[in-house]
Amino acid sequence: MERHPHTTDAQGFDYMANSGLEEKDRDYVGIILALVIMVFITVCQYNGLL
Amino acid sequence: MSQTPYIYEDRRRSFLSCCYSFQEVLPGLLAMFFIAIFSNNLAGVPNPFTLENLFRYLDAVIGPINGQPLFQILNSNFVWNPFLLGLIIGNTFGVHDSWKRGLSYIHKLMPLGIIMLAPHFVFGHATKAGWAMIIFAFVIMVLTAQFTIWLGRRMGVDDRHAGDIAGALATGDPHVTAILMPMLKAKGGQVINALACVLLFGLIASFLLPLVGQLVGMKDEAFGLLSILGIGNTGQMYNAAFGYSYEAGRWAHYLEPVRHVIMPAGFLYVFFVLFLRSRINPDDPEIHATRPHKAVPLFVIIFIVCWILAQFHVFKEPAHLAIFEMVKWDFSLAAAALGLSLPLREIAQWGLRGFAITCIAGTARIVVLVAAIMAAVHFNWLTF
Repeated sequence: MERHPHTTDAQGFDYMANSGLEEKDRDYVGIILALVIMVFITVCQYNGLL
Repeated sequence: MSQTPYIYEDRRRSFLSCCYSFQEVLPGLLAMFFIAIFSNNLAGVPNPFTLENLFRYLDAVIGPINGQPLFQILNSNFVWNPFLLGLIIGNTFGVHDSWKRGLSYIHKLMPLGIIMLAPHFVFGHATKAGWAMIIFAFVIMVLTAQFTIWLGRRMGVDDRHAGDIAGALATGDPHVTAILMPMLKAKGGQVINALACVLLFGLIASFLLPLVGQLVGMKDEAFGLLSILGIGNTGQMYNAAFGYSYEAGRWAHYLEPVRHVIMPAGFLYVFFVLFLRSRINPDDPEIHATRPHKAVPLFVIIFIVCWILAQFHVFKEPAHLAIFEMVKWDFSLAAAALGLSLPLREIAQWGLRGFAITCIAGTARIVVLVAAIMAAVHFNWLTF
């Protein structure tokens, strides 16, 4: 497998690699954060807080 | 130094394991944070020493070009500035190992930012120009994307790279290259190479397009439309239009929302075409784009749902503006991590073939647009 020295640490963790279960989990975190931020801002708007 | 190979599954307890420990991610998150706040004027940060302000100062010193700030024509914005700063820091000092867990948050920030972009694209903002204009722009966008993908295949360009160029060129927004990055599974070097290709072509075209307009004797409103649909980014569109005439520039401002609101359709089109192609040809070694996706990614589906909700004005003003400030934060952090990840040789390694397909597809689009707009105006298919 291609090792990318600029993005890979001594343990072999490549921060630009994104695949498998780790990718799915990262997607879930991103999606949850996005929905929380959007819902929070929108609810604030509807309640006259913006 | 520990040599234990990194295997995510070994340490996973729940989906939150991808956030790692606070101690592990803090240095990388701080690196992204400081690059972001010294690049852009971000909501809640009263820092005047930003790259954005430096460029504005230089714009004031240099003076406008066709009424446009030079650094707008060169695409200075909340993605480009932190990317540039990250690229300089990464290539000058390298990236310390302790930063890398934190920098991996780019993969959370990309779906996060893409979903939060959805309220930004509301059809209602463009309907004043008429549905005929929107449909015309949509057809041109799809033809440009399809032709660029086809040309990339003919010229042997990696389909992730060609797909990135197709998305950015068709939508008239170079940052679509970044949006398409997680969707196509493009490499960082391909994304930035594609962005540079579209920007450079747009820069050249924005100065040459007024000559084309004069040659064929286009009316101001028709040239305004040609600028909007024929050139690479917003600053370059206005540079071309105001370079033609003040009236054409005003028409370009009036018509610009038409291009803007259909932008998601452009990058979704590129994604779905390449996704279907990789599903239909599962064993073709030449197809890389979207290959790792077993299904349409969940964040793409949620983006589409939010985009539909936005059409019903669920995200009212100023909620939409507040969400967009969060998008600026998000992409500023992500672009910093992307800039840090890229040695210059990785951008250069994708060569000049990308620029060749950008120039060919972009020029072909201008030729088709000139003929189509003149015919549409002559036969009253489009009214201004």
